[in-house]
Amino acid sequence: MQGSLRLRLFKEKLFLLSIAVLTIATVLPLFHIMFSIMIQGIPVLIKGGWGFLTGTLAPPGGGLGGIGPAIVGTFILTFLASLIGLPVAIFTGIYAAEYPNSLIGRATKTLLMVMMEFPTILVGLFVMDLVVLPMGSYSAIAGALSLAIVMMPYVAVYTDEALRNIPPKYREGAFSLGLTRAKVVFRVLVGLAKKGIMTGVLIGIAKVAGETAPLLFTAGGASRVYFDGLNRPVGAIPLLIYNLVQQPYTNYHEIAWGASLLLMIIFLALFLPIRLSLKEVKL
Amino acid sequence: MKKALLLVVLLAAVAICGCAQNKAQNKVTPTTTTSTQVVLIGDGATFPWPQITNWINIYMKEHPNVKIEYNGGGSGKGQADFAAGVVDFAGSDPPLKKNLWDRLVNNPPAEGKGPLQFPDIIGAVVVCYNVPGVKQLRLDGKTLADIFMGKIKYWDNEEIKKLNPGVNLPHKEIIVIHRSDASGTTDIFTTYLCLVSPEWNSTIGAGKVVNWPVDKMGRGVGGKGNPGVVAELKNTPYSICYTELSYAIKENLKIVALKNKDGYFVLPNATTIKAAASHVSMYIAPPTAGYKENLRQLLNAPGKDSYPIVAFSHLLVWKHYSDPVKDKAVHAFIKWILTQGQNDKYIVPGYVGLPKSITQKVLQEAGI
Repeated sequence: MQGSLRLRLFKEKLFLLSIAVLTIATVLPLFHIMFSIMIQGIPVLIKGGWGFLTGTLAPPGGGLGGIGPAIVGTFILTFLASLIGLPVAIFTGIYAAEYPNSLIGRATKTLLMVMMEFPTILVGLFVMDLVVLPMGSYSAIAGALSLAIVMMPYVAVYTDEALRNIPPKYREGAFSLGLTRAKVVFRVLVGLAKKGIMTGVLIGIAKVAGETAPLLFTAGGASRVYFDGLNRPVGAIPLLIYNLVQQPYTNYHEIAWGASLLLMIIFLALFLPIRLSLKEVKL
Repeated sequence: MKKALLLVVLLAAVAICGCAQNKAQNKVTPTTTTSTQVVLIGDGATFPWPQITNWINIYMKEHPNVKIEYNGGGSGKGQADFAAGVVDFAGSDPPLKKNLWDRLVNNPPAEGKGPLQFPDIIGAVVVCYNVPGVKQLRLDGKTLADIFMGKIKYWDNEEIKKLNPGVNLPHKEIIVIHRSDASGTTDIFTTYLCLVSPEWNSTIGAGKVVNWPVDKMGRGVGGKGNPGVVAELKNTPYSICYTELSYAIKENLKIVALKNKDGYFVLPNATTIKAAASHVSMYIAPPTAGYKENLRQLLNAPGKDSYPIVAFSHLLVWKHYSDPVKDKAVHAFIKWILTQGQNDKYIVPGYVGLPKSITQKVLQEAGI
């Protein structure tokens, strides 16, 4: 009796230990990435100073220069993508949540899930065919549209989930007061689900701020021109990193590390507050 | 909360518009004194990217009203983008194929018409080795092909010893490192092996990807991209690989002296690469018929100083652009690249400027 209890306790300990080890192994890459980016990136940012954020690309083997156009581009693209994608996505989410049993409602939900996992490079090719070729130029608009398509399913799914998580009594209460359906949805339910929806919005934004593949065939890239109009190419930090690491020049690799650090800071600045505040969403 | 958000959005929108307007105003003011501001967009080959970037930086300093972007999306993307008219000029390592060229001639995009293709810079494919204790290594084409074919298994093989009298070669297996991805570098290297080894030509052939016999023998290793190949070489003693000259220089790799067509052993450097280019300049296709260029004629050049594996990278532009401002700007930039741009002080280490005989011929035939 005593022996089998000890064995069982031992098995439990062993199990817990192995789970803990596996958990650490799962999150270790994340910390490794963050750590190595900081080790390599911080000296670059210090050395490059303010000019690194505002200047233009240095010649090969010739100092640090700056990644200004890429930063400007990333902000323009993210802003435009949000402008295009968010309204559509939020309404889609609301629709899917309001009509969960209708054919279109169910189809929407399934398709959103598919879209979420869709290879983003194909989105880029699609937008290239749709916008870039007819317009005859890579452009900020094309890049933003591509990012908006990547962003939309995340926002829509989060909106849908947030609305579905509201206990039915609120909806019943609102209806019993004689409110119209539109008023129930937009005044009561959306208000209650605000935090969940905002989470989706910010996750969508953080996701596209770091995307490379949808921009490969759409944004064009820029390292010397800050902004030349919405119908002209713009830069983006991930695109710049992608180009720089393929070169054999140490200064380009340094710039890429600095740009990576900056990208990580932007991503974490968007991502951490949401993830930390997520606890409060529970009703 | 909602109003605050709206306000932020509005402010951001105003700020962007404001920036755009500022830019517009900036553009207008200098018009009175110089010509209008113009932005040129290029895309294509990654191999010349550092060199083109360097040219652009210098050119933009000398011509503040011109802004130029060149993105290294690869030769294939450069060609496709140029044909679709989404870029103003493109870089391509291999010359265009006949069918694409015909499309450009007969069915050009709105951007421009009359395609022009010409070399802008030369590089070299070099053979590097990692054999501890060996500082100098000489090989001829046939031996090189035999090594990459797997016929020569050990570093102290008689064939290698004969070419390297006095060098203490170890009795170790040769590890052959090659590109695992489709690559123009592989295409050039295997084309050269076809020229110097009939056996290679009949059994393996040339291409961006080939079937490496050494892989089946367990002595072949693939690396992704030039960085991958170079990393493998550094980590694998007794290995050999091929890569671009600029990588070999940057990474301080030991380079093989190759026996050229005239029987001299040459290392790749500005002199030997320029010499090779001069000897094959008559095979550079006229800019108005770029598809006629044949890689086989450009490799294994005659001449006692010629390095046998040189690689020309090409630029694609239109003879006539529908936008007259662009027309002038692109042609001025191209002319600058082919004249001042070829000056040694503007050439990035690892690349070699074109000999005068080629630039003059190109400028004359292009008529821009």
